[in-house]
Parts: sequence; structure tokens; C-alpha cells
Amino acid sequence: MSGVFTLKPPLVQKPEDLLAAGQSLSATPSPLDNSLAVFTTPASSSQSARRPPDEEQPVYFAGSDAVPSYERRLFITDTLVIFAAFQNLLKTSRSKDPEWIHNERNLTVMRKLAIDYVNFIKECWIHASQPAPRPDGPLQYSADHYRSLYTCFSLFVVLYLPEPGYEEAPVGEELMEWLNIHFIEPSTEEGDHLSSLKNPWEDETFWPYLTRATLRGLSKASVFFLKMLSGHPSEDLQHLAETMASIISSQPRLQNFTAERDFAYASRRWKDKVKALRVEMEQVLEADRFDDFDNWWDRFSDIVGILEGRAEIVQRVCEELGADWKEVCAAWGVFVDARFRRQDIPDVVDRILDEMPPDPTNVEDMVHTALFTGKAVDALAHASQLDRWLAAHLADIMEPLSLISVDSQDEIPVRDLHVLAYAEYLHSDPALWRITVDYMFSCGDVGKERGDEVLVRVPLRLNDKSATAPVEGEGRIRAGNVVGVLKDVNQTCFDYQREGARRTICRIAAQTLVHEKNYGLAVSYCSSAEDWQGLGRIVDRVLDEYITSGPARFAQYASDIAPSLQNLNIRHPSSSAVFVHRLMFAVRYSNFQQLRIKHELQSAALDLVAMFRDDVVPKSWWAVTLYDAVELLQYRSALLFSAAGAAELLAKLEEIFVRTSQGSGGDYLDILARTIAGGGYKEALDRLKTVRLALARYFARSAVLSI
Amino acid sequence: MIQTGVISTAHGDLVTDASYDFYGLRLATCSLDQRIKLWQLDETNGNWELEDDWKAHDAAVSKISWTHPEFGNIIASASFDRTVKVWEQTSGIGMPEPQQPVQANGSGSNASTSRWIERAVLPEARGTVRAVEFAPHHFGLKLASISSDNHLRIYECLEQPSLTTWQLSEETDIQALPLSPSASPFTRAQQTNALATPTQTSSSLDGASAPLIAQALQQGLQQSSSTSQQRPGLGNREADGGWCISWCKDRYWGELIAAGAGTSGVVKIIQLMPSNRPITLLTLDPSPAVEGALVPADPDAGGPSSSAITSVSWAPSCGRSYHLIATGGRDGHVRIWRVKPGEEVEDDMAADSEDGQWSASIVADFENHKSAVGRVEWNITGTVLSSAGNDGRIRLWKATSGNVWRPAGSIGVEQSEQQENENPVERDIDWNDM
Repeated sequence: MSGVFTLKPPLVQKPEDLLAAGQSLSATPSPLDNSLAVFTTPASSSQSARRPPDEEQPVYFAGSDAVPSYERRLFITDTLVIFAAFQNLLKTSRSKDPEWIHNERNLTVMRKLAIDYVNFIKECWIHASQPAPRPDGPLQYSADHYRSLYTCFSLFVVLYLPEPGYEEAPVGEELMEWLNIHFIEPSTEEGDHLSSLKNPWEDETFWPYLTRATLRGLSKASVFFLKMLSGHPSEDLQHLAETMASIISSQPRLQNFTAERDFAYASRRWKDKVKALRVEMEQVLEADRFDDFDNWWDRFSDIVGILEGRAEIVQRVCEELGADWKEVCAAWGVFVDARFRRQDIPDVVDRILDEMPPDPTNVEDMVHTALFTGKAVDALAHASQLDRWLAAHLADIMEPLSLISVDSQDEIPVRDLHVLAYAEYLHSDPALWRITVDYMFSCGDVGKERGDEVLVRVPLRLNDKSATAPVEGEGRIRAGNVVGVLKDVNQTCFDYQREGARRTICRIAAQTLVHEKNYGLAVSYCSSAEDWQGLGRIVDRVLDEYITSGPARFAQYASDIAPSLQNLNIRHPSSSAVFVHRLMFAVRYSNFQQLRIKHELQSAALDLVAMFRDDVVPKSWWAVTLYDAVELLQYRSALLFSAAGAAELLAKLEEIFVRTSQGSGGDYLDILARTIAGGGYKEALDRLKTVRLALARYFARSAVLSI
Repeated sequence: MIQTGVISTAHGDLVTDASYDFYGLRLATCSLDQRIKLWQLDETNGNWELEDDWKAHDAAVSKISWTHPEFGNIIASASFDRTVKVWEQTSGIGMPEPQQPVQANGSGSNASTSRWIERAVLPEARGTVRAVEFAPHHFGLKLASISSDNHLRIYECLEQPSLTTWQLSEETDIQALPLSPSASPFTRAQQTNALATPTQTSSSLDGASAPLIAQALQQGLQQSSSTSQQRPGLGNREADGGWCISWCKDRYWGELIAAGAGTSGVVKIIQLMPSNRPITLLTLDPSPAVEGALVPADPDAGGPSSSAITSVSWAPSCGRSYHLIATGGRDGHVRIWRVKPGEEVEDDMAADSEDGQWSASIVADFENHKSAVGRVEWNITGTVLSSAGNDGRIRLWKATSGNVWRPAGSIGVEQSEQQENENPVERDIDWNDM
């Protein structure tokens, strides 16, 4: 069953049973997250299926990753803060100085941020280790998982982000400190047990404990038990132990020296003391080298061997104690080569690993191995198996340190590869879209465009009235403010300069708003996306309202888009003329309709003529607009048109008749015909004949009155 | 992996296609039962609720496709009844009444306020329509269909708000499609290079004569299938064939579509141009010289299979300088093609410049399904490929560092060992182990 994830409820006993029934599985990936819809489908075979008809068929949904749970989410969101700070550092420093990485101040900040990661992981580990009740559900990742991240990240800092100025300093003590923090040996319990004994050397754990404590540089524990040997029956040992205790407590520590040269000198003199101890030991007679339990001399000799820094003894002792290659390596730096430098580590570790290979089944150990041996790319590969978070964040720091190459054969640099793998994991939770795109947009072109794909698919929820208070939300939209997710998404596009994605999102928003008849906001989104075709479609929809809902509703909708027209003229003076022209007509025509509704007929008449004179009326609307003139022409109380104005109307009217007789009636009559229930071009022409009659009468009236 | 949900009774018969909307919040499914169903994700509890359900066609529905949301809520369905239909969701409130009488959705519609209205029927196909896909949004409201008459058809919506008028802007026989805009023998020879690129990666081919064999076979195949097309009811051609399309999602290269038709086992990369006939830029032909030799002898696979391509999927290029196109075929192979566009050269120079040629190589070829592959599809970023086979498995594929494609898990619906032990524990499978 290895590697097959089975869905429930099961449909068949064996996978072959599906095909036997003429069936097969099929699937489609979801754009929302990393899930798939899986369904039963006819098998693609040439034989007709033998299957029971009309059986209810299921659709399954399966995700590639578990959605991050509460504690994991905290981890993700809080480490993002550090990641963002790091990106910021890179952005500002890189732009100022191409050699920024050699700047001590920048390195200090980098180191600090890396240590922030380490401290944060440590907190998570502590939190996860506590047996506290968990109201937010069980932990998704165990305490041990966070411990692994902790050891790896802190090792990375020790090895690759030394304090500025200490790059060339001996690293042994730091390595030993790392080992002592993360892999505690010998255990406190053993120490407690031994210290409770009167004659602890009679216990079989005594010498191993003392050896390990010395190997680990735990001088206090070593000295404590060496002092206990003052009660040992052998005077030789009493004496030797006292000398050794003083040697161990006087071992030079790098931190106590201001110059490395002084440290090296002190170390050499200290080694001389160890040599003297060895000479002293050799003088103990063979017969005196045993007590009742053990050959104390051999045991003691091993410890002296460690202090002497004899590599073969260090390694043998480690093997006997069950310690691994890491301990040998750290002890190497403390005892074998006190001037052990970072650049020496890979060679030494390679030699140690030849005899003490790492555990290939332990991913954490593999990460350590790769870090020690300076194989950054391998370290990332193992880290990604442990947790994609680890690989992404290590890679993010490795790149500026030039530990991994910026170039790649496959257009995606190693750093981006790991950052994108982590981002893809984040996409398993659609609610984490902001973080997902933060990581994607920190990458090169490939990552950025992947970010676009995620960003444009963030549901805008413009229909989701429940998300905001209905009344207030509506009011804010009307006021031209963008609310909710759309605002967020738009802002993200601005922040990362993703203009293409922003325009797509604006176009989608405009479409949705049109659907809701929120034409005003739709126009502003269209113009924001510079989508002039879309703008034209919205204007068409608004003009359509005249046909479907009548002049009053039309005037109301058109007044919604009027402010946008003004903005458009100011902000996009060169914006595509045709569509703006249509928009202008819609606005002016609605003004005209409003004047009619308000019975400001004189103004309406002037407006009507002006629209024709300014040539804003599209041909397809001539007939409708002319037909609107009938009411004004027939107005009894006054003559609303000038003679010239009326003549203008007549000219347009005649053009329609002429063009219709030439067979182009459709261009002029279509819309008027649509306003007549069950009407066609003939009915539309009939209406225009009433316009002609009204005009004739108007001319007659004005002729009479002007006499 | 984890299971996130199930609709236990989705359709009354096998599901032929499922398609998520742009956001993945809705799922359209279609079935042999001739119905389309719309499911909506309830994000509060992860359940899928039935939103709409109607009888869409007079035969099995084969494929379903959503438009980009900038055009509204529109789906197209293809059917064995030889039609493509365009459906639009209207939200009860304030939609303009359609001008023509339209067929409202069937009796199965529930009491929701939204309704899916049939806006257009596209009846031009002379065979069962096997696939339909809307073009990427930057090319406007367009759709492509392919049917068992081997014709690729491109329709363009002329009146957008009403969606009623669709112009058949292109209709072309895939198999008869010329390889280049010019039919001169010189350019033909040039194109053969592109056609034969797979020989560089396919171990089953040897010798430099392969390209010529490929070309000869290619032409022979075209002839034989175009003649067989004129003889109705010949053998099991429909059942053995595969018809599939996938648009290039990228805007930069113009309107490109990958299409496979019939039993040939090749996929053509077709360029559509507004004022010209479509041309084939490149043919993805895995192993023309050993045509048919790789057909698995699996008796369970349902009789003699062909090498027909059943599914093609063009990955979103997402900033890469090359394209990835996945194919799945009756020969049991899932292949990933890396397609390199020709360099920018002047049109008249393209013919005599090697740089102007598109080229392709196979970067992954998996036979893990060991039986006919029915579907391949990319995720939105083109990083994960899913494939489905007659082995009753969904398999996932991912690129690892060094651009090596590897298995990334598989999904089945059989009784698991754990379930047999009545210990249903959700397992989180390590992707890297599979």
C-alpha cells in the first residue's frame, strides 16, 4: 500500500475492480488551494463498459497538505515578520551599496535576524513541549519537530553567521556550546545519582560520566568529581586527580582573551601542563593502576588523552560513549586543534565521517552533516524534507551570503526554488494568501508570476454582503471607497507593483459591479484598469437600461457614472476616444432625461440640439433621441427650439430616412425598435414619421408666430 | 495528503468532467446522465452544497469550461449530442430579460434565486463534441471545441451582454492542417526538424533517418485518417481515438492552442491568426517510427489500445522562457513536453532561419499508470501535474531541483489496509517518499 492515499468511503476492494466495471478515476486541481476534486469517470477503453446503470456517483476532495493549524499558523505568521525585515534589509542595502554584504553593520543585522529566527523556533519548541491543555486542538507538529528546526537553524548561525570580526576566529568552543545546548550529555540524572554516592568511582557510570563531562568541556562537573577522587584508596590517583582538576579549570577560553595570539600562546602553555601530567602518570607502577573495580589508570589515561588532543583517542572514546560524529568534531575544535577555524571544518568533518558515517534515515542529522561539510545545496535539500519552512528561510539567508548560486540552469535560482516550495505549501490554506504572495513576490520573475496567479484568484467577495454591515457597506461602495478584500488585494498589487494582476482584478471587479448595477463604481474600476472596451460595455449596459427600464431609471444609473467621466477626462486625457465618447453621450443623454422629468423643457430642448450639434449622439441613438423631441416640439405654451435648432433636427431625421431607403436602416433604427414592444424597423419608422409631423407643425407654428 | 470532503451522491451516473470556477469556490460537474450540476463550497465548514442542477444536453455531457470572471458567470458544455452550449448564471434581481425566448434550466432546479440560462447552442460539429475550452481572457470571449470529426472550431462572442451570437471564426481539420504558412518544399523540410526533436530524448529511436520516417508516417497517417473519416461507421474509430485541446495561457505568443485528434498519438501546436488560416507551429510526436509498439499488452486495458492522446494540458508559463505541455494517452504514457518558442524574427525570415522554429523535447515520460491515461491537468502555477489512469489512480507529479520530474503521491478509492483493520486514521503521507 506504500504511497497510495485512499479516499473514504472506498468504492472497490482492489483498484482493478474499477476498470472491470468500466470505470476509472479522474481529477481536477482546485485553484483555491492545493486540493483536487476526484471523481469516477468512464474508463478510457474501447470496449463498452459493463457497469450497473444509474448508480449514484461520488466526488471526493483531497488536499496535498494539511491546512496549517493554530500553532503552525502562529509560527508561519510570526516568522513572516522576520522574513519581511530581512527582505527590507536586502532591498535597502543592495540599492545603496553593491558591496553591502561586506559591511559589518549589515552583517550584524543579518546575524541578529537569523538569531531572531532561532529564538522564535526555540519558543515554539518550548510551547510545544509543555503538557498544557490545548483548546485550539492537538499540535500539528510535535515538539520534536520544532527541536529539529532549532538545532538546524542555530547550527547554521554558528557556522555561517559568526559575529562580524570573528569570521577567522577559532570555532571549537562555539560548536561545543551548540552541541551542549541541543544534545545534552552526560545527563543531569546521572550526575545527581553519582554525587549522591559516597564512593562514586565504585559505580560503573562514574568513569564514562567523568570522561564525557571533560569531553564536553563541562569543567565544573569534571572538577567536582575529580575532587571526589580525593577519597579514592589510591594515593596516586588522588594526586593525579587534583592536578587534573587544576588543569581543567585553567583551560584557556577564547572569550577571556582580547587577541587570538594570546589565546594561542596560553593554549600551548596549558598543553605543556597536560604533557607534564602524562609524564607523572607514566611513573605510576603497573601494579598500582587498579582499584577493586577497575583499571583506573586506563580510564584516567583516556581523559588525559582527550586533554592532550589526541585525535584517535577522542574518536575512540566517542565511539565507546555512543557519541556521534558531531561530538568528535566539536571536541576536535576544543582539544585537538585549538585554532580550528570555520574553513577547516569541512576537511576535518569529511575525515571523521569516513569512520563515523551519519544516519541517513535521520533527516536532521543529514542537515547537520551537509551544513558541517559546507554543502549548502544538500543542506537545503535535506531541510526541505524536514520542513519546507526551514529550507526556504535558510536559502533566503544563504543567497546573500553567496553560499548558493544566484544563477540556475532552469531559470529558478536555488533560493527561489525553496521559497516557492514553501509558498506552495502555504497555498494549502487560502486564508494565508497574503503570506503566500509575500513569499512569491520575494522571488524572481517566475515566482512573481506565480504570485500573480494566486493573487488574481483571491475571492473578492463583492457579493458577500454579510462580510460588512449591509447598509454601511453599501454606502461606502457608493461613496466610491473600496471595501474588504478588494481593497487588500489592490493594495498588495500596488505594494509589489503587479500592474498586470491589478488590472485583471479591476476588470473582474467591474464585471461583478455591473452585474449588481453598480455602474458608477464599475466605471471607475474599468478606467483604473484602463480597460476601454470594458468601459464601452458598461456604457452599453447603462444605455440598455433606457430600453429595459425606461428613461427615469436610466437617468439615475447614468448619473452614477457621470462623476467618473470627469475623472476620466482629467486623469486619462488621451484615453481611448470611442468609448469615452459613448460614455459622454450616456451622461449627457441622462442629463437631458432628467431635465425632461423635472419639466425644465426649455433647457431640455437646448440640450437636445446641443447634443446633435456637438456630435455626441451615436447614429444608433439618433432615432431614439429625435423621438424624444416630439414632446418638446408639441409643447403648447412656448416655442422651445430656435429655427436653426429645429432645422438641425430635421436634417438628422432626413438622413435616417435616406439611409434607411438605402438599406442601412439597422444602423439607425435598431435601438428605437427595441424600445417598442414587439416592434420592428417598420414601427420605428412610423415613430419617426410622427417626429417629422411634429417638426412640420413646429415650423408652421413658428412661421405664424414670428409674423 | 488529507481528504477534505466528499459529495457522496453527486450524479446519477459516471461523472465525465469536473471543472472549478476561477476561484475554486464553485465546481461544475457533468455526467453521462446528461446533466450539469453546480456545487458551491461552504467555506465555514468545507462542505459542498448543490447550487443548481439541470438537464443540459440530449446525450452525455463530455466537457465543461468556465469563462474568466471578467466576462461574468458563464460556462460552456460539450456533448455527445454534437453541440456546444453556452450557459449564463442570472441572479434573479434586475437582469435584463433575454430578447429571445430561452430555455430555462430543467425541472431539477432548486428554489435558489440564481438560474443558469441557455444563451447559445453551437451546432456546427459533425461528430460528438469531446472538449470545449474558453480562450484566455486577454483574447476576448472566445471558445474552442474539438469533436470526433477531427475539427477544431473557434467561436467568438459578438454581442457580449446578451451572449446569444457566436461567430464560428475558425473551423479546421486538425489532421489536414498544414505545417507551415507556406507550402514550399523548402519550409516543409525545415519544419521536419521541429517535428523530429523528440528523437533527442527518446531512447527507442535510433539513427538519423528517424525524422524522415516520422514525416512519412505522419503524412501517411493523415491520409489514412482523412480517408477513413469519409467512410462512416468504420470500426471502432471513435472509441479508440482521443480528442483534446488546451489553450496557451500566455498572452505574449498570440493565440495558440494544443490539439490532438483521432488515433494518431500526436498533438499539434496551432497558431490562430485573425487574418490567416491557422498553422501548425510544431507537432509533439513522441515516437513516430515505432508507432503502436508501445501499446501495453495489458489484457485488462480493454482490448487493443491505440496511442491516441486523450488529454493535453498547457501549463501556465509563469515567467519561464519555455512552455510545458503535458499529454496523456491510451498508450499509458504521461509525458511532459518542454516547448521552446522560436526567437523573434521577421515573418519573411522565419522560413529560412533556424531560430524562428519552435522546438520541443520530452522532459518526463511516465508509464506508472500501466494502462490508458484519461486525463492530465496542471495546477494554477504549473508546478504540479495530476494524471488519471485506468489503473484507478490519480497520480501527482512535481519538478524537483535540477528540473527532474518525480512522482509526488497517488490517490485511490480502494479499501485501504487501514480501513480493513477498521482503524481509519488520517495519514499525512510524505510526498518525497513516493
